[in-house]
Amino acid sequence: MSGENRPGTVGRRRFLHGAALAGAGLATGAAAPTAAVAPAAAVAPFHGPHQASVLAPPRRTSVFVSLDVTAEHRADLADLLRTLTDRARFLTSGGTPSPVGITGPPADSGILGDRLPSGELAVTVGVGASLFDDRFGLAARAPRRLTAMPAFPDDDLRADWCHGDLSLQLHADDPDTTLHALRDIARHTRGGLQVRWRLDGFTSPPRPSGTPRNLLGFKDGTANPDAAGAREMNRLVWVGRGMGEPDWAVGGSYQVVRLIRMLVEFWDRVSLSEQERMFGRARSSGAPLDGDHEHDTPKYADDPKGDVIPLDAHIRLANPRAAATADQRILRRAYNYDRGMDANGNLDMGLLFCCYQQDLARQFETVQRRLAGEPLTDYITPFGGGYFFALPGVRDATDWYGRALLG
Amino acid sequence: MPLPRLGTRPVRLRSAGVLLFVLALATGATLLAFSLGGGHRTRAAGPVTVEVSLSHCGRGWTRPTPGVQTFDLHNASAGAAEVYLEDPGSQAVYGEVEGIGPGTTRQLTVRLGEGTYAFKCVPDDADAVTGPSVRVTSGRRGPGAAPVTEHDLIPSALAYQKWVGGGLDEVVRLTAKLRRAVDRGDLAGARAAWLPAHLEYERLGAAYDAFGDADGQVNGTDAGLPGGVGDQGFAGFHRIEYGLWHGQSADRLHAPAAALVKAVTALRDSWSQTRMDPAQLGLRAHEILENTVQFELTGRTGYGSGSNLATARANLDGTREVLSLLRPVLTTRYADLPGLDQDLDSAQHTLDGLRHGDRWTALPALTRAQREHVDSVFGDLVERLASVATLCDPRRTA
Repeated sequence: MSGENRPGTVGRRRFLHGAALAGAGLATGAAAPTAAVAPAAAVAPFHGPHQASVLAPPRRTSVFVSLDVTAEHRADLADLLRTLTDRARFLTSGGTPSPVGITGPPADSGILGDRLPSGELAVTVGVGASLFDDRFGLAARAPRRLTAMPAFPDDDLRADWCHGDLSLQLHADDPDTTLHALRDIARHTRGGLQVRWRLDGFTSPPRPSGTPRNLLGFKDGTANPDAAGAREMNRLVWVGRGMGEPDWAVGGSYQVVRLIRMLVEFWDRVSLSEQERMFGRARSSGAPLDGDHEHDTPKYADDPKGDVIPLDAHIRLANPRAAATADQRILRRAYNYDRGMDANGNLDMGLLFCCYQQDLARQFETVQRRLAGEPLTDYITPFGGGYFFALPGVRDATDWYGRALLG
Repeated sequence: MPLPRLGTRPVRLRSAGVLLFVLALATGATLLAFSLGGGHRTRAAGPVTVEVSLSHCGRGWTRPTPGVQTFDLHNASAGAAEVYLEDPGSQAVYGEVEGIGPGTTRQLTVRLGEGTYAFKCVPDDADAVTGPSVRVTSGRRGPGAAPVTEHDLIPSALAYQKWVGGGLDEVVRLTAKLRRAVDRGDLAGARAAWLPAHLEYERLGAAYDAFGDADGQVNGTDAGLPGGVGDQGFAGFHRIEYGLWHGQSADRLHAPAAALVKAVTALRDSWSQTRMDPAQLGLRAHEILENTVQFELTGRTGYGSGSNLATARANLDGTREVLSLLRPVLTTRYADLPGLDQDLDSAQHTLDGLRHGDRWTALPALTRAQREHVDSVFGDLVERLASVATLCDPRRTA
């Protein structure tokens, strides 16, 4: 986009405000620390065949935004995604924002100081079904299994909190890092993207050990597949060749986001044993009710009538641990959320559930159907979210989000 | 434009004397539009300490390197000074620090690239001094622009003042019409007369700052009033709007309408005596629409007429007027003027699509997509206009 910063070039709109007006020239590749020398401890390397942020363990804090594209032409959409890539690359790699002198206000909000840290932020970008409507001529290129998120029987969806053309998730250990990134990206894409809804999440530290707890007090995500296992991820998370998906989608993953309010006051009035039977785990240790330790494998075959772990316990329905259901597993990447109080003085908090899978119908929707009507549904209200397709990774300094889709 | 906050942004202090002599810049040649500074290939070098003084302006910078560079500017003189890093040939400015106090050190960070640079020290009470030229032999430098002087802006300021004066005449005429309708008890006529009068005022845009307290009497909201919309201090267009669209009788609106006519008449009469600060022009070009974003697109200033989008449209007209006057200054400095024009057209087109004859879609009636488009195009505009304000902030060059 850089070439278009010269006077006299009319035509495509540009979505490079602030620093970019200065022509951060990022798209030229001469930009950002191309080496992407993110330190070894980086939250997730930026370049690669997949978005590494999908697999990275949840950080302490997260911003999830759904965005609508207000740009009108396909070329503008491509420009937007290039800009988004440039910003994500710079924000994750760190460095000193290029000053603009007297030609504009400061290029950066300054909330992280003069120099942005390296490797402390991860970014995940997805596309929603609505992006493939008639606006950009992309209908024929939609990921085969991507639809708008349907309302499930236990849902109470609010239109203002559902769907979106794009999803953007920012992960870091400090909220100033994610908020800085959100401001930067929003500024640089102003005129082309509007935030449709936003929910921030956090991950609790282990209490006292093991998997972090959700706001119902239970460890959440214990039975996740091993994100470090490439074969497992290729089987469960990444879209590969030969799955009937368009070529451009290979390396991506279906992202499901569910905004689930927890009725915590009600929950706190429920006896511990009832709580534990709903989950199927001991609240204290996270162990399945038929085990001693968090990572013990429940032995459902030994408990066919559900005397120890009820048949409708959450963990039993979600993952029956059978050979036939092994390929239905999902990679959970949930965060807790807290957004104050409701009008009646009750706490508005819950789960910013997010999961990844290579097939929505085979995985998330199958699990969701099994969970329909589980006892836990009395204590939660899914009110929003959406289906998105996490784009394949940005391979190198010249690549950009969605290049294979739009290029 | 109810809350005259934004316009209070401080304008730099300058001593009037030095303004008398202004170097006429060959603007055509001075343009160094937004040259695209490379990126972040070069690691930021450590700070270089540079002296700010009349005798040794720029001393200390001997080994220039391309890339992002931070300077510690130490003011060794006895008075405050401004410092520019400029290209001594074109006089395009690549960085500035205002008002460095005597004995203090302030940082300036710029992206250095191929070209010649020199520090210019501009003491508050003496002529500017340019330091030695320093040549950087590689790299792409950050964006620069020729400074705009107060002198450059005077013709535009005079023209703007005249334009506002003409607009105020019209506001007086249209509010008198509104008042007559109220006085004869014709509330339907008053509602019909309210909008043209209000829009005429809104078209004058961020003139609020020069209008000072008068704007509160003409176009204030109930913000900050202990009694809210029932407060005795609630006055002007929005007070009348509230009454006209909330079933108040003509009797109750008689006094507010009379007060409005009185206020706009007083404003019109005083306007010819006022001298507008040319430094305000660039700010207005930007902040009229910041106000639109803050108060109109949010509906904060809506008191029943459902005309926030009409107001936004009037604000857009006001912005265009300021920009047209600034255009001679901007053509050689603002890199993407065509893009800005395109955005202004797009905003106008978007709003006009929400107008149906004399009626405008009220904010709550917008679909989500419509609202997103309106917010988006105005968001884009204020980002672009922010640069107009920084470029048109008058600077001393001699």
